[in-house]
Amino acid sequence: MSENYEYILKTEHVSKRFGTLEVLKDINLSVKKGEVICIIGPSGAGKSTFLRSLNQLEKITSGKIFIRDELFLHREHDHTVDKLPHEKQQELLLEMGMVFQRFNLFPHMTVLQNVCEAPVVVKKQKKSEAEAQARELLEKVGLSDKADEYPSRLSGGQQQRVAIARALAMNPEIMLFDEPTSALDPELVGDVLNVMKELAESGMTMLVVTHEMGFAKEVADRVLFMADGIIAEEGTPDQIFTNPQVDRTKSFLNAILET
Amino acid sequence: MKFLKKYKKPIIVIAVIVAVIIVLGALLPTKQELLSCASPEMQKMIEEDATRSRKRVTETYESLIVINYLSLSTSGAQEVSEHYVGFVRNVYPADEGPMKVVGQMVNYTYRMLGCGENWMHGAKLTVLLTTLTVLFGLLLGTVLALGKISKNKVLSKISSGYIFFFRGTPLLIQLFVVYFTVPGIFGFAWRDIFPASDAEAVYKGAFTAALIAFALNSGAYCAEIVRSAIQSIDKGQFEAAKALGMTYGQTMGRIVIPQSIRRMIPNVSNEFIMILKDASLVFAISLMDITTISKNIMTSEGSYLVFIPALVIYLVITAFFGFIFNKLEKRFSIYE
Repeated sequence: MSENYEYILKTEHVSKRFGTLEVLKDINLSVKKGEVICIIGPSGAGKSTFLRSLNQLEKITSGKIFIRDELFLHREHDHTVDKLPHEKQQELLLEMGMVFQRFNLFPHMTVLQNVCEAPVVVKKQKKSEAEAQARELLEKVGLSDKADEYPSRLSGGQQQRVAIARALAMNPEIMLFDEPTSALDPELVGDVLNVMKELAESGMTMLVVTHEMGFAKEVADRVLFMADGIIAEEGTPDQIFTNPQVDRTKSFLNAILET
Repeated sequence: MKFLKKYKKPIIVIAVIVAVIIVLGALLPTKQELLSCASPEMQKMIEEDATRSRKRVTETYESLIVINYLSLSTSGAQEVSEHYVGFVRNVYPADEGPMKVVGQMVNYTYRMLGCGENWMHGAKLTVLLTTLTVLFGLLLGTVLALGKISKNKVLSKISSGYIFFFRGTPLLIQLFVVYFTVPGIFGFAWRDIFPASDAEAVYKGAFTAALIAFALNSGAYCAEIVRSAIQSIDKGQFEAAKALGMTYGQTMGRIVIPQSIRRMIPNVSNEFIMILKDASLVFAISLMDITTISKNIMTSEGSYLVFIPALVIYLVITAFFGFIFNKLEKRFSIYE
Protein backbone atom coordinates (compact mmCIF):
# COMPACT_ATOMS: atom_id res chain seq x y z
CA MET A 1 0.00 0.00 0.00
CA SER A 2 1.22 3.47 -0.78
CA GLU A 3 2.91 5.34 2.01
CA ASN A 4 2.65 8.64 0.22
CA TYR A 5 -0.25 10.24 1.94
CA GLU A 6 -0.55 13.43 3.86
CA TYR A 7 -3.21 12.48 6.40
CA ILE A 8 -3.78 9.00 7.66
CA LEU A 9 -7.29 10.01 8.66
CA LYS A 10 -9.34 13.04 7.77
CA THR A 11 -12.95 14.05 8.21
CA GLU A 12 -14.78 16.89 6.48
CA HIS A 13 -18.08 18.30 7.66
CA VAL A 14 -19.05 15.14 9.49
CA SER A 15 -22.53 15.35 11.04
CA LYS A 16 -24.60 12.81 12.83
CA ARG A 17 -28.11 13.02 14.09
CA PHE A 18 -30.26 10.57 16.02
CA GLY A 19 -33.78 11.52 15.04
CA THR A 20 -33.94 15.24 15.74
CA LEU A 21 -30.97 15.23 18.07
CA GLU A 22 -27.83 16.58 16.42
CA VAL A 23 -24.95 14.77 18.05
CA LEU A 24 -22.17 15.85 15.71
CA LYS A 25 -22.16 19.11 13.81
CA ASP A 26 -19.71 19.68 11.03
CA ILE A 27 -16.62 18.04 12.48
CA ASN A 28 -13.36 18.61 10.60
CA LEU A 29 -10.28 16.78 11.73
CA SER A 30 -7.02 15.79 10.12
CA VAL A 31 -4.71 13.27 11.68
CA LYS A 32 -1.12 12.70 10.63
CA LYS A 33 0.64 9.40 11.08
CA GLY A 34 2.11 9.06 14.55
CA GLU A 35 -0.02 11.77 16.11
CA VAL A 36 -1.61 11.20 19.49
CA ILE A 37 -4.84 13.12 19.84
CA CYS A 38 -6.88 13.29 23.00
CA ILE A 39 -10.51 14.27 22.83
CA ILE A 40 -11.90 15.71 26.03
CA GLY A 41 -15.21 17.28 26.90
CA PRO A 42 -18.39 16.90 28.93
CA SER A 43 -20.49 13.79 28.49
CA GLY A 44 -23.03 14.05 25.72
CA ALA A 45 -20.66 16.14 23.66
CA GLY A 46 -20.47 13.52 20.92
CA LYS A 47 -16.92 12.34 21.59
CA SER A 48 -17.74 8.65 21.56
CA THR A 49 -20.12 8.99 18.65
CA PHE A 50 -17.40 10.67 16.64
CA LEU A 51 -14.94 7.89 17.37
CA ARG A 52 -17.53 5.22 16.59
CA SER A 53 -18.47 6.80 13.30
CA LEU A 54 -14.84 6.71 12.21
CA ASN A 55 -14.80 2.91 12.18
CA GLN A 56 -18.38 2.62 10.97
CA LEU A 57 -20.02 1.44 14.18
CA GLU A 58 -22.29 4.45 13.59
CA LYS A 59 -23.37 5.65 10.16
CA ILE A 60 -22.76 9.35 9.75
CA THR A 61 -25.62 11.48 8.48
CA SER A 62 -23.46 13.56 6.19
CA GLY A 63 -19.84 14.40 5.59
CA LYS A 64 -16.72 12.82 4.19
CA ILE A 65 -14.24 10.45 5.75
CA PHE A 66 -10.83 9.99 4.16
CA ILE A 67 -8.39 7.27 5.04
CA ARG A 68 -4.85 7.72 3.70
CA ASP A 69 -6.18 10.58 1.55
CA GLU A 70 -8.60 8.23 -0.19
CA LEU A 71 -12.28 9.09 0.01
CA PHE A 72 -13.54 6.29 2.20
CA LEU A 73 -17.13 7.39 2.58
CA HIS A 74 -19.19 10.36 1.53
CA ARG A 75 -22.76 10.72 2.75
CA GLU A 76 -25.33 13.47 2.46
CA HIS A 77 -28.72 13.52 4.21
CA ASP A 78 -28.40 9.90 5.30
CA HIS A 79 -27.60 8.65 1.80
CA THR A 80 -24.29 7.33 0.64
CA VAL A 81 -23.05 9.51 -2.20
CA ASP A 82 -19.72 7.86 -2.75
CA LYS A 83 -17.60 5.21 -1.13
CA LEU A 84 -14.82 2.77 -1.72
CA PRO A 85 -15.85 -0.72 -2.81
CA HIS A 86 -16.84 -2.90 0.11
CA GLU A 87 -13.71 -5.08 0.12
CA LYS A 88 -11.42 -2.09 0.05
CA GLN A 89 -13.41 -0.56 2.89
CA GLN A 90 -13.07 -3.70 4.97
CA GLU A 91 -9.35 -3.74 4.29
CA LEU A 92 -8.92 -0.13 5.42
CA LEU A 93 -11.10 -0.65 8.47
CA LEU A 94 -8.69 -3.32 9.64
CA GLU A 95 -6.14 -0.54 9.97
CA MET A 96 -8.23 0.89 12.80
CA GLY A 97 -8.13 -0.89 16.13
CA MET A 98 -10.77 -0.03 18.69
CA VAL A 99 -10.76 -0.26 22.47
CA PHE A 100 -14.11 0.09 24.20
CA GLN A 101 -15.11 1.55 27.51
CA ARG A 102 -16.61 -1.75 28.62
CA PHE A 103 -13.77 -3.88 27.16
CA ASN A 104 -16.16 -6.18 25.24
CA LEU A 105 -13.87 -9.17 25.51
CA PHE A 106 -15.34 -12.46 24.33
CA PRO A 107 -16.26 -14.12 27.63
CA HIS A 108 -16.39 -17.67 26.27
CA MET A 109 -12.78 -17.58 25.11
CA THR A 110 -9.58 -17.54 27.10
CA VAL A 111 -7.37 -14.48 26.99
CA LEU A 112 -5.12 -16.10 24.40
CA GLN A 113 -8.09 -17.11 22.23
CA ASN A 114 -9.47 -13.58 22.46
CA VAL A 115 -6.24 -12.17 21.06
CA CYS A 116 -5.82 -14.88 18.38
CA GLU A 117 -9.41 -14.93 17.18
CA ALA A 118 -9.41 -12.11 14.65
CA PRO A 119 -5.94 -12.77 13.16
CA VAL A 120 -6.90 -16.40 12.55
CA VAL A 121 -10.48 -15.88 11.42
CA VAL A 122 -10.22 -12.58 9.58
CA LYS A 123 -6.62 -12.44 8.43
CA LYS A 124 -6.35 -16.23 7.98
CA GLN A 125 -3.07 -16.34 9.85
CA LYS A 126 -1.72 -19.72 10.89
CA LYS A 127 -2.82 -20.60 14.38
CA SER A 128 0.71 -21.16 15.65
CA GLU A 129 1.89 -17.81 14.28
CA ALA A 130 -1.11 -15.99 15.72
CA GLU A 131 -0.47 -17.61 19.09
CA ALA A 132 3.17 -16.64 19.13
CA GLN A 133 2.23 -13.08 18.26
CA ALA A 134 -0.52 -13.07 20.89
CA ARG A 135 1.90 -14.20 23.59
CA GLU A 136 4.27 -11.41 22.59
CA LEU A 137 1.49 -8.85 22.84
CA LEU A 138 0.33 -10.18 26.20
CA GLU A 139 3.90 -9.89 27.40
CA LYS A 140 3.89 -6.30 26.23
CA VAL A 141 0.75 -5.46 28.23
CA GLY A 142 2.13 -7.34 31.23
CA LEU A 143 -0.30 -10.26 31.22
CA SER A 144 1.69 -13.19 29.87
CA ASP A 145 0.78 -15.23 32.96
CA LYS A 146 -2.96 -14.83 32.30
CA ALA A 147 -3.02 -16.29 28.79
CA ASP A 148 -5.18 -19.27 29.71
CA GLU A 149 -7.60 -17.54 32.05
CA TYR A 150 -11.13 -16.58 31.11
CA PRO A 151 -11.82 -12.83 31.08
CA SER A 152 -14.24 -13.08 34.00
CA ARG A 153 -11.30 -14.07 36.20
CA LEU A 154 -9.44 -10.83 35.47
CA SER A 155 -9.77 -7.39 37.01
CA GLY A 156 -11.17 -4.57 34.89
CA GLY A 157 -7.72 -3.16 34.30
CA GLN A 158 -6.38 -6.51 33.17
CA GLN A 159 -9.38 -7.02 30.89
CA GLN A 160 -8.81 -3.65 29.28
CA ARG A 161 -5.16 -4.48 28.67
CA VAL A 162 -6.22 -7.73 27.03
CA ALA A 163 -8.61 -5.70 24.88
CA ILE A 164 -5.70 -3.49 23.82
CA ALA A 165 -3.63 -6.55 22.96
CA ARG A 166 -6.57 -7.95 21.00
CA ALA A 167 -6.84 -4.77 18.94
CA LEU A 168 -3.06 -4.66 18.40
CA ALA A 169 -3.06 -8.23 17.14
CA MET A 170 -4.53 -7.00 13.87
CA ASN A 171 -1.51 -4.69 13.39
CA PRO A 172 -3.60 -1.55 13.00
CA GLU A 173 -2.11 1.79 12.02
CA ILE A 174 -4.50 3.77 14.15
CA MET A 175 -5.85 2.93 17.57
CA LEU A 176 -9.14 4.40 18.72
CA PHE A 177 -9.72 4.45 22.47
CA ASP A 178 -13.26 5.11 23.65
CA GLU A 179 -12.95 6.16 27.29
CA PRO A 180 -10.75 3.16 28.05
CA THR A 181 -10.42 3.88 31.76
CA SER A 182 -13.89 5.19 32.61
CA ALA A 183 -15.25 1.84 33.75
CA LEU A 184 -12.26 1.03 35.94
CA ASP A 185 -11.63 1.32 39.64
CA PRO A 186 -9.28 4.26 40.23
CA GLU A 187 -6.37 2.11 41.37
CA LEU A 188 -6.48 0.07 38.16
CA VAL A 189 -6.37 3.05 35.81
CA GLY A 190 -2.60 3.48 36.03
CA ASP A 191 -1.69 0.12 34.47
CA VAL A 192 -3.88 0.75 31.46
CA LEU A 193 -2.56 4.30 30.99
CA ASN A 194 1.02 3.01 31.17
CA VAL A 195 0.34 0.55 28.38
CA MET A 196 -1.17 3.36 26.32
CA LYS A 197 1.81 5.60 27.01
CA GLU A 198 4.21 2.94 25.81
CA LEU A 199 2.10 2.52 22.75
CA ALA A 200 2.21 6.26 22.07
CA GLU A 201 5.97 6.29 22.52
CA SER A 202 6.33 3.49 20.01
CA GLY A 203 4.88 5.82 17.39
CA MET A 204 1.31 4.51 17.13
CA THR A 205 -1.28 6.92 15.80
CA MET A 206 -3.89 7.24 18.52
CA LEU A 207 -7.26 8.91 19.02
CA VAL A 208 -8.19 8.82 22.67
CA VAL A 209 -11.47 9.92 24.17
CA THR A 210 -10.65 10.36 27.82
CA HIS A 211 -11.35 12.06 31.11
CA GLU A 212 -7.78 11.51 32.28
CA MET A 213 -6.40 15.04 32.02
CA GLY A 214 -2.99 13.98 33.35
CA PHE A 215 -2.65 11.49 30.54
CA ALA A 216 -3.76 14.05 27.96
CA LYS A 217 -1.26 16.62 29.22
CA GLU A 218 1.61 14.18 29.21
CA VAL A 219 1.07 12.14 26.08
CA ALA A 220 -1.06 14.08 23.62
CA ASP A 221 0.36 15.98 20.68
CA ARG A 222 -2.96 17.71 20.31
CA VAL A 223 -6.01 18.07 22.49
CA LEU A 224 -9.51 18.59 21.13
CA PHE A 225 -12.17 19.98 23.38
CA MET A 226 -15.61 18.89 22.21
CA ALA A 227 -18.89 20.27 23.46
CA ASP A 228 -22.41 20.12 22.04
CA GLY A 229 -21.35 18.27 18.93
CA ILE A 230 -18.62 20.62 17.78
CA ILE A 231 -14.89 20.90 18.32
CA ALA A 232 -15.00 23.99 20.50
CA GLU A 233 -11.29 24.34 20.90
CA GLU A 234 -8.17 22.65 19.65
CA GLY A 235 -4.51 23.02 20.49
CA THR A 236 -1.44 21.61 22.16
CA PRO A 237 -1.96 20.37 25.71
CA ASP A 238 -0.20 23.48 26.98
CA GLN A 239 -2.53 25.81 25.15
CA ILE A 240 -5.66 24.00 26.23
CA PHE A 241 -4.82 23.32 29.84
CA THR A 242 -2.96 26.46 30.81
CA ASN A 243 -4.43 29.03 28.50
CA PRO A 244 -7.84 28.05 27.18
CA GLN A 245 -9.45 30.66 24.93
CA VAL A 246 -13.10 29.60 24.88
CA ASP A 247 -15.38 30.07 27.89
CA ARG A 248 -16.86 26.61 27.51
CA THR A 249 -13.38 25.07 27.81
CA LYS A 250 -12.54 27.20 30.83
CA SER A 251 -15.64 26.23 32.75
CA PHE A 252 -15.18 22.54 31.88
CA LEU A 253 -11.56 22.51 33.00
CA ASN A 254 -12.43 24.39 36.18
CA ALA A 255 -15.11 21.87 37.02
CA ILE A 256 -12.78 18.94 36.31
CA LEU A 257 -9.79 20.30 38.18
CA GLU A 258 -11.82 21.20 41.24
CA THR A 259 -12.81 17.62 41.93
CA MET B 1 -9.24 -36.61 44.11
CA LYS B 2 -10.63 -33.10 43.70
CA PHE B 3 -13.44 -34.54 41.66
CA LEU B 4 -14.26 -37.10 44.36
CA LYS B 5 -14.34 -34.42 47.02
CA LYS B 6 -16.59 -32.11 45.03
CA TYR B 7 -19.20 -34.75 44.24
CA LYS B 8 -18.89 -36.76 47.44
CA LYS B 9 -22.58 -36.88 48.24
CA PRO B 10 -24.02 -37.81 44.82
CA ILE B 11 -21.25 -40.38 44.31
CA ILE B 12 -22.12 -42.10 47.57
CA VAL B 13 -25.83 -42.06 46.74
CA ILE B 14 -25.25 -43.48 43.25
CA ALA B 15 -22.81 -46.09 44.57
CA VAL B 16 -25.30 -47.24 47.19
CA ILE B 17 -28.11 -47.47 44.63
CA VAL B 18 -25.92 -49.42 42.21
CA ALA B 19 -24.75 -51.74 44.98
CA VAL B 20 -28.33 -52.41 46.09
CA ILE B 21 -29.34 -53.15 42.50
CA ILE B 22 -26.41 -55.52 42.02
CA VAL B 23 -27.16 -57.38 45.25
CA LEU B 24 -30.89 -57.61 44.54
CA GLY B 25 -30.15 -58.71 40.99
CA ALA B 26 -27.82 -61.45 42.20
CA LEU B 27 -30.50 -62.68 44.61
CA LEU B 28 -33.16 -62.80 41.92
CA PRO B 29 -34.68 -66.27 41.45
CA THR B 30 -34.09 -67.67 37.96
CA LYS B 31 -36.84 -68.48 35.51
CA GLN B 32 -36.34 -72.20 36.31
CA GLU B 33 -36.94 -71.52 39.97
CA LEU B 34 -40.16 -69.69 39.16
CA LEU B 35 -41.26 -72.54 36.90
CA SER B 36 -40.59 -75.13 39.57
CA CYS B 37 -43.17 -73.45 41.79
CA ALA B 38 -45.97 -73.98 39.30
CA SER B 39 -48.74 -76.43 40.17
CA PRO B 40 -48.19 -80.13 39.21
CA GLU B 41 -50.94 -79.97 36.57
CA MET B 42 -49.39 -76.93 34.94
CA GLN B 43 -45.93 -78.54 35.03
CA LYS B 44 -47.33 -81.66 33.42
CA MET B 45 -48.94 -79.64 30.63
CA ILE B 46 -45.67 -77.77 30.00
CA GLU B 47 -43.84 -81.08 29.82
CA GLU B 48 -46.36 -82.41 27.32
CA ASP B 49 -46.14 -79.19 25.33
CA ALA B 50 -42.46 -79.86 24.71
CA THR B 51 -43.38 -82.62 22.28
CA ARG B 52 -46.54 -81.05 20.81
CA SER B 53 -46.63 -78.78 17.83
CA ARG B 54 -49.59 -76.82 19.16
CA LYS B 55 -48.84 -75.51 22.62
CA ARG B 56 -51.53 -75.32 25.26
CA VAL B 57 -49.67 -73.15 27.75
CA THR B 58 -48.84 -69.51 27.03
CA GLU B 59 -45.74 -68.56 28.91
CA THR B 60 -44.73 -64.98 29.66
CA TYR B 61 -41.50 -64.30 31.47
CA GLU B 62 -40.40 -60.76 32.24
CA SER B 63 -37.42 -59.64 34.27
CA LEU B 64 -36.74 -56.08 35.50
CA ILE B 65 -33.24 -56.70 36.91
CA VAL B 66 -34.33 -56.83 40.56
CA ILE B 67 -37.76 -58.38 40.20
CA ASN B 68 -39.25 -60.84 37.73
CA TYR B 69 -42.61 -62.17 36.72
CA LEU B 70 -43.86 -65.40 35.21
CA SER B 71 -47.34 -65.87 33.83
CA LEU B 72 -48.63 -69.26 32.70
CA SER B 73 -52.05 -69.56 31.17
CA THR B 74 -54.02 -71.99 29.05
CA SER B 75 -56.90 -71.21 26.81
CA GLY B 76 -59.70 -73.40 25.62
CA ALA B 77 -62.19 -75.55 27.57
CA GLN B 78 -60.48 -75.54 30.95
CA GLU B 79 -58.98 -72.10 31.31
CA VAL B 80 -56.33 -71.91 34.02
CA SER B 81 -53.75 -69.32 34.78
CA GLU B 82 -50.98 -69.00 37.31
CA HIS B 83 -48.73 -66.04 38.08
CA TYR B 84 -45.51 -65.84 40.05
CA VAL B 85 -43.31 -63.00 41.17
CA GLY B 86 -39.68 -63.55 42.08
CA PHE B 87 -37.86 -61.19 44.44
CA VAL B 88 -34.81 -61.68 46.71
CA ARG B 89 -34.51 -65.48 46.61
CA ASN B 90 -38.26 -65.89 47.04
CA VAL B 91 -41.02 -66.84 44.67
CA TYR B 92 -44.46 -65.49 45.50
CA PRO B 93 -47.70 -66.70 43.95
CA ALA B 94 -49.34 -63.65 42.37
CA ASP B 95 -52.86 -64.79 41.57
CA GLU B 96 -54.60 -62.66 44.14
CA GLY B 97 -54.14 -60.00 46.80
CA PRO B 98 -51.28 -57.49 46.88
CA MET B 99 -48.86 -59.80 45.05
CA LYS B 100 -51.25 -59.86 42.11
CA VAL B 101 -50.94 -56.08 41.87
CA VAL B 102 -47.15 -56.30 42.16
CA GLY B 103 -47.09 -58.87 39.38
CA GLN B 104 -49.26 -56.70 37.17
CA MET B 105 -47.06 -53.67 37.80
CA VAL B 106 -43.95 -55.60 36.78
CA ASN B 107 -45.74 -56.84 33.70
CA TYR B 108 -47.03 -53.38 32.69
CA THR B 109 -43.75 -51.63 33.39
CA TYR B 110 -41.89 -54.22 31.35
CA ARG B 111 -44.21 -53.71 28.42
CA MET B 112 -44.32 -49.91 28.63
CA LEU B 113 -40.55 -49.69 28.78
CA GLY B 114 -40.42 -51.69 25.58
CA CYS B 115 -38.11 -54.30 27.11
CA GLY B 116 -37.33 -57.18 24.78
CA GLU B 117 -38.59 -55.16 21.80
CA ASN B 118 -36.86 -52.92 19.28
CA TRP B 119 -36.76 -49.12 19.39
CA MET B 120 -40.27 -48.84 17.95
CA HIS B 121 -41.78 -49.69 21.33
CA GLY B 122 -42.60 -48.01 24.62
CA ALA B 123 -40.20 -45.72 26.43
CA LYS B 124 -37.54 -46.35 23.79
CA LEU B 125 -39.80 -44.89 21.12
CA THR B 126 -40.75 -41.94 23.33
CA VAL B 127 -37.14 -41.06 24.18
CA LEU B 128 -35.91 -41.54 20.62
CA LEU B 129 -38.69 -39.44 19.13
CA THR B 130 -38.20 -36.68 21.71
CA THR B 131 -34.43 -36.53 21.32
CA LEU B 132 -34.52 -36.44 17.53
CA THR B 133 -37.31 -33.86 17.62
CA VAL B 134 -35.31 -31.52 19.84
CA LEU B 135 -32.16 -31.92 17.72
CA PHE B 136 -33.93 -31.16 14.46
CA GLY B 137 -36.08 -28.53 16.15
CA LEU B 138 -32.99 -26.69 17.37
CA LEU B 139 -31.38 -26.75 13.92
CA LEU B 140 -34.55 -25.48 12.29
CA GLY B 141 -35.09 -23.03 15.15
CA THR B 142 -31.63 -21.52 14.70
CA VAL B 143 -32.28 -20.96 11.00
CA LEU B 144 -35.68 -19.42 11.75
CA ALA B 145 -34.27 -17.23 14.52
CA LEU B 146 -31.52 -15.89 12.28
CA GLY B 147 -34.18 -15.29 9.65
CA LYS B 148 -36.43 -13.48 12.06
CA ILE B 149 -33.73 -11.09 13.30
CA SER B 150 -32.19 -10.55 9.87
CA LYS B 151 -32.49 -7.18 8.21
CA ASN B 152 -33.92 -8.82 5.11
CA LYS B 153 -37.64 -8.03 5.33
CA VAL B 154 -38.77 -11.03 3.28
CA LEU B 155 -36.77 -13.53 5.34
CA SER B 156 -37.96 -11.95 8.54
CA LYS B 157 -41.61 -12.08 7.48
CA ILE B 158 -41.35 -15.70 6.35
CA SER B 159 -39.83 -16.71 9.68
CA SER B 160 -42.41 -14.78 11.67
CA GLY B 161 -45.22 -16.30 9.63
CA TYR B 162 -43.87 -19.80 10.14
CA ILE B 163 -43.57 -19.31 13.89
CA PHE B 164 -47.06 -17.77 14.06
CA PHE B 165 -48.56 -20.70 12.19
CA PHE B 166 -46.94 -23.53 14.13
CA ARG B 167 -47.48 -21.95 17.52
CA GLY B 168 -51.04 -21.02 16.67
CA THR B 169 -52.35 -24.45 15.66
CA PRO B 170 -52.67 -27.65 17.70
CA LEU B 171 -49.82 -30.12 17.44
CA LEU B 172 -52.29 -33.00 17.08
CA ILE B 173 -53.77 -31.47 13.94
CA GLN B 174 -50.31 -30.75 12.58
CA LEU B 175 -49.55 -34.43 13.15
CA PHE B 176 -52.73 -35.43 11.31
CA VAL B 177 -51.88 -33.12 8.42
CA VAL B 178 -48.42 -34.60 8.02
CA TYR B 179 -49.64 -38.17 8.47
CA PHE B 180 -52.90 -38.08 6.48
CA THR B 181 -53.27 -34.88 4.46
CA VAL B 182 -49.82 -34.60 2.91
CA PRO B 183 -49.70 -38.18 1.58
CA GLY B 184 -53.33 -37.78 0.50
CA ILE B 185 -52.57 -34.74 -1.61
CA PHE B 186 -49.33 -36.00 -3.09
CA GLY B 187 -50.51 -39.57 -3.51
CA PHE B 188 -48.04 -41.59 -1.49
CA ALA B 189 -48.08 -43.55 1.75
CA TRP B 190 -45.62 -43.15 4.58
CA ARG B 191 -45.00 -46.88 4.76
CA ASP B 192 -43.82 -46.88 1.14
CA ILE B 193 -40.63 -45.07 2.01
CA PHE B 194 -39.47 -48.32 3.61
CA PRO B 195 -39.05 -51.58 1.69
CA ALA B 196 -42.21 -53.66 1.47
CA SER B 197 -40.34 -56.63 2.93
CA ASP B 198 -39.92 -54.72 6.18
CA ALA B 199 -42.54 -56.05 8.58
CA GLU B 200 -42.54 -52.82 10.53
CA ALA B 201 -42.75 -50.50 7.52
CA VAL B 202 -46.10 -49.14 8.69
CA TYR B 203 -44.73 -48.20 12.09
CA LYS B 204 -41.52 -46.80 10.67
CA GLY B 205 -43.53 -44.70 8.24
CA ALA B 206 -45.70 -43.39 11.05
CA PHE B 207 -42.58 -42.67 13.09
CA THR B 208 -41.10 -40.66 10.21
CA ALA B 209 -44.32 -38.67 9.85
CA ALA B 210 -44.44 -38.02 13.59
CA LEU B 211 -40.80 -36.92 13.66
CA ILE B 212 -41.40 -34.50 10.78
CA ALA B 213 -44.52 -33.03 12.37
CA PHE B 214 -42.91 -32.70 15.79
CA ALA B 215 -39.67 -31.22 14.43
CA LEU B 216 -41.57 -28.65 12.36
CA ASN B 217 -43.57 -27.70 15.44
CA SER B 218 -40.61 -27.68 17.80
CA GLY B 219 -38.66 -25.54 15.31
CA ALA B 220 -41.13 -22.71 15.91
CA TYR B 221 -40.72 -22.87 19.68
CA CYS B 222 -36.94 -23.33 19.46
CA ALA B 223 -36.77 -20.31 17.15
CA GLU B 224 -38.09 -18.12 19.95
CA ILE B 225 -35.67 -19.71 22.41
CA VAL B 226 -32.70 -19.12 20.10
CA ARG B 227 -33.84 -15.61 19.19
CA SER B 228 -34.22 -14.46 22.77
CA ALA B 229 -30.85 -15.98 23.67
CA ILE B 230 -29.13 -14.24 20.77
CA GLN B 231 -30.77 -10.94 21.59
CA SER B 232 -29.72 -11.23 25.22
CA ILE B 233 -26.07 -11.07 24.15
CA ASP B 234 -24.52 -7.69 24.85
CA LYS B 235 -24.42 -5.35 21.85
CA GLY B 236 -20.78 -4.73 22.67
CA GLN B 237 -19.95 -8.25 21.49
CA PHE B 238 -21.26 -7.47 18.00
CA GLU B 239 -19.37 -4.17 18.00
CA ALA B 240 -16.11 -5.72 19.16
CA ALA B 241 -16.37 -8.40 16.48
CA LYS B 242 -17.17 -5.83 13.83
CA ALA B 243 -14.31 -3.60 14.91
CA LEU B 244 -12.00 -6.60 14.49
CA GLY B 245 -13.23 -7.00 10.92
CA MET B 246 -15.33 -10.13 11.41
CA THR B 247 -18.22 -10.70 9.01
CA TYR B 248 -21.81 -11.17 10.18
CA GLY B 249 -21.50 -14.93 9.71
CA GLN B 250 -18.26 -15.14 11.65
CA THR B 251 -19.67 -12.95 14.41
CA MET B 252 -22.74 -15.16 14.75
CA GLY B 253 -20.98 -18.48 14.38
CA ARG B 254 -17.95 -17.82 16.57
CA ILE B 255 -18.98 -15.15 19.05
CA VAL B 256 -22.73 -14.84 19.51
CA ILE B 257 -24.16 -18.34 19.11
CA PRO B 258 -21.54 -20.06 21.31
CA GLN B 259 -22.42 -17.60 24.06
CA SER B 260 -26.15 -18.00 23.50
CA ILE B 261 -25.99 -21.77 23.93
CA ARG B 262 -25.58 -21.60 27.68
CA ARG B 263 -28.49 -19.20 27.95
CA MET B 264 -30.62 -21.49 25.83
CA ILE B 265 -30.10 -24.61 27.92
CA PRO B 266 -32.76 -24.01 30.61
CA ASN B 267 -35.33 -23.23 27.93
CA VAL B 268 -34.28 -26.16 25.75
CA SER B 269 -34.60 -28.38 28.79
CA ASN B 270 -38.12 -27.08 29.22
CA GLU B 271 -38.91 -27.65 25.55
CA PHE B 272 -37.51 -31.18 25.80
CA ILE B 273 -39.83 -32.01 28.66
CA MET B 274 -42.80 -30.50 26.82
CA ILE B 275 -42.07 -32.64 23.75
CA LEU B 276 -41.55 -35.72 25.89
CA LYS B 277 -45.12 -35.33 27.05
CA ASP B 278 -46.46 -34.18 23.70
CA ALA B 279 -44.95 -37.31 22.19
CA SER B 280 -47.87 -39.18 23.75
CA LEU B 281 -49.99 -37.75 20.91
CA VAL B 282 -48.56 -40.43 18.62
CA PHE B 283 -51.19 -42.75 20.04
CA ALA B 284 -53.43 -41.09 17.45
CA ILE B 285 -51.40 -42.59 14.61
CA SER B 286 -51.07 -45.95 16.36
CA LEU B 287 -47.42 -45.80 17.27
CA MET B 288 -46.68 -47.97 20.32
CA ASP B 289 -45.34 -45.42 22.77
CA ILE B 290 -45.80 -45.50 26.56
CA THR B 291 -49.22 -43.89 26.34
CA THR B 292 -50.54 -46.16 23.59
CA ILE B 293 -49.37 -49.28 25.41
CA SER B 294 -50.96 -48.18 28.68
CA LYS B 295 -54.22 -47.39 26.88
CA ASN B 296 -54.12 -50.80 25.18
CA ILE B 297 -53.56 -52.59 28.48
CA MET B 298 -56.45 -50.63 29.97
CA THR B 299 -58.75 -51.63 27.13
CA SER B 300 -57.76 -55.27 26.82
CA GLU B 301 -57.32 -56.15 30.49
CA GLY B 302 -59.53 -53.58 32.13
CA SER B 303 -56.75 -52.62 34.48
CA TYR B 304 -57.23 -49.12 35.80
CA LEU B 305 -53.92 -49.29 37.69
CA VAL B 306 -51.80 -49.31 34.56
CA PHE B 307 -51.60 -45.51 34.37
CA ILE B 308 -49.71 -45.26 37.66
CA PRO B 309 -46.54 -46.99 36.41
CA ALA B 310 -46.99 -44.97 33.19
CA LEU B 311 -46.76 -41.75 35.20
CA VAL B 312 -43.74 -43.04 37.09
CA ILE B 313 -41.94 -43.93 33.86
CA TYR B 314 -42.53 -40.43 32.45
CA LEU B 315 -41.32 -38.89 35.71
CA VAL B 316 -38.13 -40.95 35.76
CA ILE B 317 -37.33 -40.02 32.15
CA THR B 318 -37.98 -36.33 32.91
CA ALA B 319 -35.77 -36.47 36.00
CA PHE B 320 -32.97 -38.15 34.07
CA PHE B 321 -32.93 -35.61 31.25
CA GLY B 322 -33.39 -32.73 33.70
CA PHE B 323 -30.20 -33.93 35.38
CA ILE B 324 -28.34 -34.12 32.05
CA PHE B 325 -29.38 -30.60 31.02
CA ASN B 326 -28.37 -29.32 34.44
CA LYS B 327 -24.90 -30.80 34.02
CA LEU B 328 -24.67 -29.35 30.50
CA GLU B 329 -25.51 -25.91 31.79
CA LYS B 330 -22.80 -26.13 34.46
CA ARG B 331 -20.35 -27.32 31.87
CA PHE B 332 -21.04 -24.39 29.56
CA SER B 333 -20.78 -21.97 32.49
CA ILE B 334 -17.09 -22.46 33.17
CA TYR B 335 -16.24 -19.02 31.86
CA GLU B 336 -18.73 -17.15 33.99
